[in-house]
Amino acid sequence: MSETTKVSSQAAGKSHNRRFAMVVDIRRCIGCMACQVACKAEYDTPLGVNRTWVPYKVTGKYPTVSRKFLPRLCNHCEDPPCVRNCPVGATFVVEDGGFVLQRYERCIGCRSCMAACPYNARFMLPSHRTYTPITNVVDKCTFCFHRVTQNLVPACVQTCIGRSRVFGDINDPNSEVSYLIATNPTQVLRPEQGTKPHVFYIGADRNQTEFGRDGHKPIEVMEQERSAFKLHFKI
Amino acid sequence: MGEYVWFHDVSWHSAYAIYFFFIGILAGLSFLSYGSWITPALRPLREKAAYISVVLLGVGGALLVADLSQPLRFLNTLNPFYMHFTSPLAWGALNIAAFGICSVLYVWTLFKKEEKHGKLLATLTALLALGLPIYTGYDLSVHQSRPVWNTPVMPVLFVALAVASGSAAGSLLAGANAAAQKILREYMLWSSAAVGVVLIGILGTTNYGGAAEELTFAILTTGTMGLVFVGFGILGGVAAPVGLLLMTTGRQHRGILMISAALILVGSAALRYAILMAPQQMQTLF
Repeated sequence: MSETTKVSSQAAGKSHNRRFAMVVDIRRCIGCMACQVACKAEYDTPLGVNRTWVPYKVTGKYPTVSRKFLPRLCNHCEDPPCVRNCPVGATFVVEDGGFVLQRYERCIGCRSCMAACPYNARFMLPSHRTYTPITNVVDKCTFCFHRVTQNLVPACVQTCIGRSRVFGDINDPNSEVSYLIATNPTQVLRPEQGTKPHVFYIGADRNQTEFGRDGHKPIEVMEQERSAFKLHFKI
Repeated sequence: MGEYVWFHDVSWHSAYAIYFFFIGILAGLSFLSYGSWITPALRPLREKAAYISVVLLGVGGALLVADLSQPLRFLNTLNPFYMHFTSPLAWGALNIAAFGICSVLYVWTLFKKEEKHGKLLATLTALLALGLPIYTGYDLSVHQSRPVWNTPVMPVLFVALAVASGSAAGSLLAGANAAAQKILREYMLWSSAAVGVVLIGILGTTNYGGAAEELTFAILTTGTMGLVFVGFGILGGVAAPVGLLLMTTGRQHRGILMISAALILVGSAALRYAILMAPQQMQTLF
């Protein structure tokens, strides 16, 4: 596993050209949730909220079933609606790298950015925290800005045991993310929103990336389990 | 286990819907107070509408500030170094502040019975009051990822709701004044009909949209939210009062007008709640 951000010598001298992106190769994700744990450890993210999370869905019918993971995080969009909608400029884009970050001291907690984000990537921090005074403001994934500026990869990328997550400068033609995007069909979440996300997926399942029309209906598998339970206990 | 999803809370809770409701009534009452300078029949409502409008602004403003997770930082929205005008909330903060100043000055002139500046301040207050439902509508419609919110008619709907709920509140205040009730009946009838037309348009485009739109339509029209939106909002708050008000054509019937006004108020509150919450519920599924 690489611990440092791969930036070629060609791009290294032109910091203003950098545009960081993440490629998540779903084929390699084993659903160990280590990325989620590493992120929690890095930021002391409180219970109940996550900067990154790994939902899954079981698709197919026995015996041909498979569990489809879809690691999620802030997409650090090129055209972020959260930035447009903040009334006090508390969220902003870092020109060098394209990070979408949050000014905690300025955030008024109106949650307009949360409403604007099509990816549910933002959350409200609780009013009490043990190790940090940052409370009652909106928080989100930072692409580990503090690590990347020290030439380290984000915590989730470093810990990913299947090397499913790859991070790098998409403007550097020699970076691994550029190579992966150039050589694989990739998907982004909700492209119809025009946000130009910078988290690319390889092999993502459409059942996960799109709104399903059966979203509010009971899940078939769970219904079967429930029926079996009721039958067994004569409920 | 068939599925693991991470639960996302909705961004804006019911306090926001109550704020929308208060803002709508106070905007409508400001229109009536201004109208009293043009239409003599509304003259008895001038002071009452202006005073109640200021009180509602105080309550609604306090509710909005209290809903912020950092209430003391509400002043950041008025800090010229922080203002970010791509957000409708920044314009809204300026609009509320300007409306508050104007309406307090207007109430002061009414209290002092200074007719000279009264009409000018009434005009300014009414214009700024018009901005309140418009900004709240834009506040939702800029969120282009949310079905229903993203329709461009949202500011129009909020203006129509403001006229309807303001006229209904005015009708309850006008009491036995037959001349005022005659005009308010027209306002309630036409604004409620406008709300109905816009809602039909929104429901039509939502039901025939993509998967997210269809889900939002399903949330809006079924279960508890269906009871609130269709039951209290459309049937109780639009169809019933329009029917009742049409029944009174050509004659005055105070009881029916009062019932219609009460239905419009309940219905407009229900509609605002459903329109605020349903697209957010849909988003929690992604």
